[in-house]
Amino acid sequence: MKYLPLIWTAVMRKPARTILTLLSVTVAFTLFGLMMGLNATFDQVAAKARADRIFTNARFGGAGMPIAVAHQIAAIPGVKVVTAVSGINGYVQDPKNSAFVLMVDENLPKVFGDWGITQQLWDVVQKDRTGIVMSQSQATRWHKKVGDTFTLVSRQMKRADGSSAWTFKVLAIGPDFQQNSNGYIFGNYDYIDKARPAADQGKIGEADLLANDPATSAELAERIDRAFANSATPLVTITEKMARAGNDFGGLDIKKITGGIALAGMFMVLFLTGNGIAESVRERFAEFATLKTIGFSDRAVTVMVVLESALPCILGAGLGVGIAAVLARQIPKLMPPDFGIPLPTISPLVLVWAAASAFAVALLSAALPILRLTRMDIASALSGRA
Amino acid sequence: MNILRQIVIVSLINFRSIRLRLWRSLVIVVGMACVIGVLLSMLSLTEGMLQAYKNTGDPGRALVVSIGAQSEGNSGIARDKARLIMDAPGIAKAPDGSPMADPGINSGVPVFRLNGRRAYNNLRGFGPKGVMLRPEFHLVSGRMFRFGTRELIVGASAKTQFKGMNVGDKVILPDGEWPIVGSFTTGDLLDGQLIGDTETVMKAIRRPAYNSVLVRLSSLNAFDTFKKALTTNPALSIDPYRQSDWYKKISAGFSTFFNVIAYGIAIIMAVGALFGCLNTMYAAVAARGREIATLRAIGYGALPVAVSVILEAVALSVTGALVGAAIAWTLYDGQMGSFNVSVFKLTVSPALIGMAILWAVAVAVLGGLLPSIRAARRPVVEALRAT
Repeated sequence: MKYLPLIWTAVMRKPARTILTLLSVTVAFTLFGLMMGLNATFDQVAAKARADRIFTNARFGGAGMPIAVAHQIAAIPGVKVVTAVSGINGYVQDPKNSAFVLMVDENLPKVFGDWGITQQLWDVVQKDRTGIVMSQSQATRWHKKVGDTFTLVSRQMKRADGSSAWTFKVLAIGPDFQQNSNGYIFGNYDYIDKARPAADQGKIGEADLLANDPATSAELAERIDRAFANSATPLVTITEKMARAGNDFGGLDIKKITGGIALAGMFMVLFLTGNGIAESVRERFAEFATLKTIGFSDRAVTVMVVLESALPCILGAGLGVGIAAVLARQIPKLMPPDFGIPLPTISPLVLVWAAASAFAVALLSAALPILRLTRMDIASALSGRA
Repeated sequence: MNILRQIVIVSLINFRSIRLRLWRSLVIVVGMACVIGVLLSMLSLTEGMLQAYKNTGDPGRALVVSIGAQSEGNSGIARDKARLIMDAPGIAKAPDGSPMADPGINSGVPVFRLNGRRAYNNLRGFGPKGVMLRPEFHLVSGRMFRFGTRELIVGASAKTQFKGMNVGDKVILPDGEWPIVGSFTTGDLLDGQLIGDTETVMKAIRRPAYNSVLVRLSSLNAFDTFKKALTTNPALSIDPYRQSDWYKKISAGFSTFFNVIAYGIAIIMAVGALFGCLNTMYAAVAARGREIATLRAIGYGALPVAVSVILEAVALSVTGALVGAAIAWTLYDGQMGSFNVSVFKLTVSPALIGMAILWAVAVAVLGGLLPSIRAARRPVVEALRAT
């Protein structure tokens, strides 16, 4: 630490150069933070995806599929368990207040066990089939407590008597879970299905399933599609891992783009800081010779140069990533509401990457000057001939 | 001695000494190369897409869609209307005297990208005049689909983006699997798409109406006649477009979003490069202090000195931009890319490179201005004394 004044003097020898270098590094790391933050968001989403879960939808029409399809899928080798997933889309009182009731069969808890809803809670709608369970956030939103009635007006789904108002009793309030920040409302599939006109009964939205072997789930998805290719309901099946990979924007691999941009920024900075430190050392060659003459070891000189090089890098990285974190929060205000790219997350891993990159840039920048310094001929350097 | 001559002489002296300041000068070159490399790599996508849309539209053809339609997919033309449209004046005649017009269908078909993600590809219907209307159409391998048969042909570029797009593969449609029996090229957007017989496809996807009608105009000037005949019939409620205008219209808004991101990122990088440029030019001015003072002492003006500094920055910056453009061109120009349903060649066009040079000049002028003023203002005596 006793070198600090020396390093500070070196850094402040040409304040304009130092400040401009710092600004440049800050800008590059702002970009770095945004790009790596975006990747972090994709990775977080992808990490939550289960390798053995598979989603199956009707390939055409979007109007769902007969429940028989789910039963047929269950018979395909390699399929562990299938749940028929459906729901009622509608609104509460005013068309502006959209709400969704998930219709749950007895297998849904098995396929989506990771949601963290207890079996007892799932069982509530199996015991009292006419009711629903709400998450805390939904209960707050609709001002409901256990025992209240909840009426959802559906746009598409009619009741057997022709009305489109679905009334349920709130049986329980459940905890929210992270994967679904909007909360949930679920009810009993069979009960809701039987309340529909006979012609509409037995329809489901999609079939979701678990594979026996996570390693071959992609292959299983292809087999399911092939099995139904020439049926009345062709399917389109995809693993959750693939569906949630996220870094796909109209076919562009965003992670590749962001990675390239972050790398280009670092390369630009490397050249700038490398040149700055080389110049600084060149200008003070005689000074370093003096230091070595009065007993500074090669190691001490090396440490000094590395620190001098690291100072703007580390400071700039910190500032840049900080700005990126602030910008990331402002992005929703700047972008249109249907913006297709998620927000960057300045996760701990992003900070680690930024710090590692800053050190790498600092070390690479300092490498050549250090080489020159350790090989210097003190006598000729002192006489200004080096 | 006039100012221009002075500028030339001072700049020449200056350029000759750049190699003495090589590393420092490279900071500008590398910085700009990174900025332009990133910018043009990203813009090669929108440029390629716009180019493909432009290629697809032929001013000698007209496309008729239902009134207000924003895409062929959400346009609907009933069969009786299609017959009226095909009888309109201004349409070229086939050798047998029938109008060169083809009612078509255009639908999204779920497919998987090569990376396994879900996507849609365009399925087009060709009627009997489909090929005759498109002289750019050539079979590459296999054979043409047969009318009335559940067969498809595929554009030669589709397989670079989507799974199962080779001759011999099968495509799942609502009524089952359709074999791909041939591969074609048109040199435009159709190269990424699937084509089948219009009537058979309509049966498969349960569509009673066509999406659009494509006609060959009897001459480039016949469009007005054609349009007038159709739009004066209120029962039709359709919009005729010259095909080139149609593709201009539907490609107008969609690249904006991506361009905003590309330019936004490039502007951030350019600010970083600008600081580097300032840094280098201040150092360069300092290094040339005595030379500049000597020039001033023997009668050179302040302006030529200042201009020479900016010219140096411009030369380095433009060099960097060209390096960046060369990198982007090598990596991406001509590569197959896709965005949503469109498959196209990424393009680093001369226009993009020209724009990159303008960026480089702008950054250099901004980055060279303050150092140039310092160079011009520095008192001669002081500079001469400096070591």
